[in-house]
Amino acid sequence: MIPYTDRLAGLLGRRKTPPYLTENLSEDLIVLDRLVKIYDTGTIKVLGLKKISLTIRRGEFVAIMGKSGSGKSTLMNILGCLDQPTLGHYYLDGVDTASLSPDELSEIRNHKIGFVFQSFNLISRTSALKNVELPMTYARKSKRERRERAMELLKRVGLEARADHMPNELSGGQRQRVAIARALANDPPLILADEPTGNLDTAASEEIMELFSRLHQDGATVVVVTHEENIAAFTERIIRFQDGEVVSDRKNRPALPESRRGKEEISC
Amino acid sequence: MLIENMSMAFAAIRVNKMRSFLTMLGIIIGIGSVISIVSIGDTMRNLFSDIYKDVGITQGYLYIGYWVEDVRESDYFTLDEMERIRDVFADEIAYIDSNAYTSADASYRRTTVSFDFSGIDANYIDVQPVDMVYGRYLNEGDILGRRRNVVMDTDSARLLFGEENAVGKTFRATIYGSTDEYTVVGVYRKNMNAFQALLMGSGGDTGSAFIPYTLLTWPNDTFYAIRVFAGDDVDLTSFFARLQAYVARTKNRQPQDWYLQTAMDEMTMVDSVMGGLSAAVGGIAAISLLVGGIGIMNIMLVSVTERTREIGIRKSLGAKTRDIMIQFLTESAILSACGGAIGILLGAGVVWIGGSLAGIPVVVKPSVVVLAVSFSAVVGIFFGIYPASRAARSNPIDALRYE
Repeated sequence: MIPYTDRLAGLLGRRKTPPYLTENLSEDLIVLDRLVKIYDTGTIKVLGLKKISLTIRRGEFVAIMGKSGSGKSTLMNILGCLDQPTLGHYYLDGVDTASLSPDELSEIRNHKIGFVFQSFNLISRTSALKNVELPMTYARKSKRERRERAMELLKRVGLEARADHMPNELSGGQRQRVAIARALANDPPLILADEPTGNLDTAASEEIMELFSRLHQDGATVVVVTHEENIAAFTERIIRFQDGEVVSDRKNRPALPESRRGKEEISC
Repeated sequence: MLIENMSMAFAAIRVNKMRSFLTMLGIIIGIGSVISIVSIGDTMRNLFSDIYKDVGITQGYLYIGYWVEDVRESDYFTLDEMERIRDVFADEIAYIDSNAYTSADASYRRTTVSFDFSGIDANYIDVQPVDMVYGRYLNEGDILGRRRNVVMDTDSARLLFGEENAVGKTFRATIYGSTDEYTVVGVYRKNMNAFQALLMGSGGDTGSAFIPYTLLTWPNDTFYAIRVFAGDDVDLTSFFARLQAYVARTKNRQPQDWYLQTAMDEMTMVDSVMGGLSAAVGGIAAISLLVGGIGIMNIMLVSVTERTREIGIRKSLGAKTRDIMIQFLTESAILSACGGAIGILLGAGVVWIGGSLAGIPVVVKPSVVVLAVSFSAVVGIFFGIYPASRAARSNPIDALRYE
């Protein structure tokens, strides 16, 4: 629980960083401790996750794999602080998320997690720039700061020329790149991608995964949930799920995309 | 953040232009009708108070109460008594006459017109100014000499004589049973707007004329009543009370035996009746605002359902309950406030156009406008609370999964 005085300070609008948002530079970014998720459908109780214990270190590039119903989406929701475990603990950046209120979870999502979704989830009829600005708006950043940072991020994903385009004027790959720029807006320690290439063709998928690789090389922690082997192949660690349990967790030597493989071989 | 919310709200309103307009329509009609009804009421009150000012707000009538059974001859007023009253209250009384009036047919050649004759004193023009266009007003000589001279307005002159300049013309009329020849000594022009004319019941086919009040006496040269115009700075309540007491004393009666009627009391009564009436009708019109508010709530609920996914995205990006709540509240408040603003323009516009067509000065009170706008914003916020809280409470996962 947050101390009462801090809650009060929050209520009174004093902008003091709450303890659950302070930077914690421990080695382990994500620690799952005997995580259990039970879905109560009323008539039957479904065990979504069965005592998952898992650690993801800062700077890792991880794929979470599994068929539908394997529990990977459930885990994704919990990792993303969109849902909470029934039992067990999830420590994100050293903070136990189980004790946080919905609004505190919103703040965690805002500051510590960058989401990339399968269906892009850009706000329609809102320009790419405004979409990228949104997390910063909720972080109460100034208009100028938002604009500058959003332009910089769009440049980083190669879309600065499309800043004023609406989502429906962009291709799937471009939309996903806007979404990635948006995920990076508040410089979160964790990038969480849920089937980021599920709605994209092969070329665009490769483009997106390359972008993730680059982010990873720049030091970001990236967790990708996918069911496609060739997507998981880009990552350095593959965790396989089945029936709510981890069935395998192994290191992976990232396959480089076709386009870059040649260069790599020459440099070797 | 507020600006962000406003621009988001405007964007959302723009996206569904037709729907937003239809939603606003309830508020537009509600505010429009409240504004127009209250303004029409205020305009009428203003008009009545103008009329009373024209007729003379300082005037009052005094006569023996209709409830008094043993009316004596001394309860009537003689010319001498009126002169005495004028002397006793010299500081207060600006004008006094007998408030005598009668209707009679006036005939000139083959034309016969029904006329209202009002008995006046020569200085009546001081308390009820008129623009003389031909001839002169009645003078002391006409009054004291009981000359059968009259002054009439241009409309009446045209009615009876077929022309405005009727000075020197004579007509026959039978007043109090005596048929005599009357001479027009002056013609004045009436200044009143269409509505006043309608209310005053003149125009049409009836003429009106001033004659010396000394011609309109009761038997034995007495008058039934006195009419007094007080000076401008006189405390009317106290003056009329003293006048009543004085008259009662000189005629050996109690003050309450005398009936006192003042323009002030009448105006206050009319004003309060009209005020009550316009408040009541305005209140009924305000019910339509409630209906408008329910319309807003309905559309906001639809909008929240439609945008479930958007809400989920926003929540996943860090929007707090309060952020979503404020976003939707802003939207409903803006819808409602825009509707209110358009309603005010519409309501005030209708009243203004109507007023300028009828030639009446229109009164749209700023306080009513402010009240209407704040009421519509309150309606928007109140009816926005439920949809907004439903949006804000939604679970981000369910919202994200919503198709």
